[in-house]
Amino acid sequence: MQETEQAPEQAWRRLRNDQFSGLLLILFALYLYWENRAYPVGSLAEPGPGYMPLMLAIFLAAMGVLIIIFSGRSRLLEMKWVEAPHAVIVLIACGAAAFALERIGYRLTIIALLIFLLGVLERKRPLPVLIVSISFAMISFYVIGDLLVVPLPRSPWGF
Amino acid sequence: MVETFQDLYLGFSIALSPQVLVYAFVGCIIGTLVGMMPGLGPLAGISLLLPATFGLNPIIAIVLLSGVYYGAMYGGSTTSILMRIPGEAASVMTCIDGYAMTQNGRAGPALAIAAIGSFIAGSLGVVGLMLLAPTLAAFALRFGPPEYTALLLMGFFILAYMSAGSMPKTLSMAGLGLIFGMVGIDTMTGYTRFSFGVIELGDGIGIVPVAVGLFGISEILLVAGAAEPPKVQRPKLRELIPSREELRLSVGPIARGSLLGFLIGIIPGSAHIISSFVSYGIERRISKHPERFGSGAIEGVAGPESANNSAASGAFVPMMALGIPTSPITAVMIAAVMVHGISPGPLLIQQQPELFWGFVASMYVGNVVLLILNLPMVGLFVNLLRIPYAYLYPCILCFTILGGYSVANSIVDVWIMLGMGVIGYLLRKFGYDLAPIALGLVLAPMLELSVRQSLAMSAGTYAIFVNRPIAAIMLGIGVLIVVLSLKPLISKRKDWRASVGLESEQS
Amino acid sequence: MRLSTTISACVIAFAALTAFAQEPYPTRPVNVVVPFPPGGMADLSARPLAAAMEKIWKQPVPIINRPGAGGAVGMQSVSIAKPDGYTVMVTLVSYNTIPEVDAMFGRAPAYSREQFVPIALIAADPPVLVVHPSLPAKSVKDLVALAKKRPNEIVFSHSGVYGPSHVPMEMFVHAAGIKMRHLPAVGGGPTMALVLGGHAGMWASPPAMAVPHIANTKLRALASWGDKRLASLPDVPTFKEVGYDLEFYVWSGMFAPRGVGTAVVSSLRETVRQAVLSVDFKTSMERIKTPIAYLDALEFQKFLEKDLKMLSSAIRRMGKIEEAK
Repeated sequence: MQETEQAPEQAWRRLRNDQFSGLLLILFALYLYWENRAYPVGSLAEPGPGYMPLMLAIFLAAMGVLIIIFSGRSRLLEMKWVEAPHAVIVLIACGAAAFALERIGYRLTIIALLIFLLGVLERKRPLPVLIVSISFAMISFYVIGDLLVVPLPRSPWGF
Repeated sequence: MVETFQDLYLGFSIALSPQVLVYAFVGCIIGTLVGMMPGLGPLAGISLLLPATFGLNPIIAIVLLSGVYYGAMYGGSTTSILMRIPGEAASVMTCIDGYAMTQNGRAGPALAIAAIGSFIAGSLGVVGLMLLAPTLAAFALRFGPPEYTALLLMGFFILAYMSAGSMPKTLSMAGLGLIFGMVGIDTMTGYTRFSFGVIELGDGIGIVPVAVGLFGISEILLVAGAAEPPKVQRPKLRELIPSREELRLSVGPIARGSLLGFLIGIIPGSAHIISSFVSYGIERRISKHPERFGSGAIEGVAGPESANNSAASGAFVPMMALGIPTSPITAVMIAAVMVHGISPGPLLIQQQPELFWGFVASMYVGNVVLLILNLPMVGLFVNLLRIPYAYLYPCILCFTILGGYSVANSIVDVWIMLGMGVIGYLLRKFGYDLAPIALGLVLAPMLELSVRQSLAMSAGTYAIFVNRPIAAIMLGIGVLIVVLSLKPLISKRKDWRASVGLESEQS
Repeated sequence: MRLSTTISACVIAFAALTAFAQEPYPTRPVNVVVPFPPGGMADLSARPLAAAMEKIWKQPVPIINRPGAGGAVGMQSVSIAKPDGYTVMVTLVSYNTIPEVDAMFGRAPAYSREQFVPIALIAADPPVLVVHPSLPAKSVKDLVALAKKRPNEIVFSHSGVYGPSHVPMEMFVHAAGIKMRHLPAVGGGPTMALVLGGHAGMWASPPAMAVPHIANTKLRALASWGDKRLASLPDVPTFKEVGYDLEFYVWSGMFAPRGVGTAVVSSLRETVRQAVLSVDFKTSMERIKTPIAYLDALEFQKFLEKDLKMLSSAIRRMGKIEEAK
């Protein structure tokens, strides 16, 4: 459990995995403290709405410090991010779908999302992609929207 | 006692009538399907079906809804085991070892044990409900905010045994979960905290979108783009059945989980959610090989699954005996009989025995139906794994969006889910455990409220926690748990946890 | 509560007839948004109403639950819905309280009352004050005397701050000039559990929930907030009878987004009136033990204004909870 040596010029490179995440936790705790100013803290006998968040901010910061102190065993910050570009694309696609859901309706959104993920990202053959995406959208809409009467969003064109 | 059996005979004569039986089957099937939808849990399932029951007679309505309830709980564990997507808070713990078993090619036994454990726990729960409902209900009412605080703290101390990571990391994740739980309108004062002007956040962040995002979506983000695609599982029939060793290991967890779940379940409030967490912690603590947990220990499936099912039966005790809807699920169930002009409560057992006993018997029938429905289905479900991952994960994503939206017709839940997916992905890259976040999120609103309620009752003196016997005893046990968890740290300097690898270190 | 007179009904019927001549409505399903979860009071009174309206219109009238933030989420969604008459809502008394509370906290309001047109009041249920039997108070008079003797010692519970069981208690505490501590809970069920377990002394309960426990002597009813005694509790006096001029109802009513055409409004009013009078609706409401209290738009508007005046002064008296102490 020794402190790691840090050459100032290469501090970033030499950061250990846990030192980095511990630092993030401390930053988050500070942000939480900042956000929490709006709420009255109250007293120990009568905790206000800001009491527990304040305690948690202090607790998180303390844990961040501990994680940094005990970070001797963890690996250097040299993670492989091979899957990251793919993950980002998937997330952006899902985000776009969430944005589109209430605007162009459930069925169109899901068809578009599936065609993108299967056809463009995974490069499957067009025919299976079309069959899967259209039938998925239709069947799921029928089961959830029609049978279970969930008001799934429809497009402005009623579809 | 004889009277009880006569009443039970009456109950079974109602529950086994063909018409009721058909509805029990229908309920279980719908429930299983709804539960398998990522993001749709038991509460969403019975809320969606509630309006459809208004036209039925009250016994059938409640049979149908309890079928949906049980089915959804089981369906939720199916997706947790196969795809690491918890359908509800209670399956979060099933995710961890269940999915690890799937990766080891033991999906079949995991599903089978989950079904058997749920069945045994459900049956024991029904027996408990039948024999003890009136007595227990009176006792359960003595649980006020101070006792509740003590119970939740005990649940919290279990954290020490819950995860494989280092202690500060586990605690910091629990803290993060507690902070997520602070979002929303403060019950005591009406302040809206950390909602950033989003009205939908007034009710706080729900556990279901968080669990689906943290566990399910993060898994897709990690695996879908990996350099080598995950290999397609080709389960053989022989591997569907649990081995003798697995069955032997499951007996203890199922028995302990059932008892624990029932006891936690009868307490008014939503504490039954923590039963699966507590069960996991206990199993891990008493196991001779705690290092197996997190990488596919059957005990980690058997215990929590049983606990959550018997807690569900336990939750019916205050509902049937007192007529108090102490959790959202029982509130919907009560509404289902209220529209027929029946008020569940102390007089129900005397005035309408056929309803009470019919309900008890049909719960038992529902459990049997679920078992005979689901054991053969294990083979079918496992075959889902044959679908190439490139086809599977886009469909799972669509299901999560659909499920997330359907729960409250709210797009905000979908955004929370996606956001939690990112957070879960990053945290796993940095080697953090995610289960403590879920526990923290579940506990935060209840814990904060019950502490502040207790202080409101006592006008600010903390003596209320030690002056009340039940609370004091439970706090004592909690302190004991903490001391025991610290002991290895002091005596051996090194905790066994440190010798265990971090869960899911994919990088 | 007065029911609408025949004269006003005739006027509406006439107005509705002339309106029908202009354009057909409805020609497709009319969505009724309920900003509360299934199984709540708003939901349970909206469903039979919608079923009765379906029969009159021969068009589906689906209920859409949009719960969240005590009703604010659903009401906000209706306030910005297209005012074409195909989205209406059935909501509770929180319609009046949410904007008041938002204003007090200086929050951006979720919606404003000006964004809605009242259609009709459907039901109004006065809460009843129930106490745990261990509390030595057999009447309101006893309770006030007890509270005066032990100020700030008796604890009352409620189902949520500024909510429909908090406001009436505050009104009573203010009118009686007594001091009591409060113990908030989340929702009616947990509140009832707190009082039944003796962890809190009393609360303003919905009668349907309290009646079985009163019959079983696990609770004692002292008074109700209505202007006449409850049919289900004929022995329990009203606050007015015992000398406090208090009236409070947990009401549910139908609203449409502002901007709907007059023809649509009159069709809605007429259909709701017929639906409320239907036998099916009456039996359904009897089953959930909620008294029907129909008021047509104009009288409903007056009722709303009176209700708002009373609620907003009560909420302002409460202030921000933690500053009050």
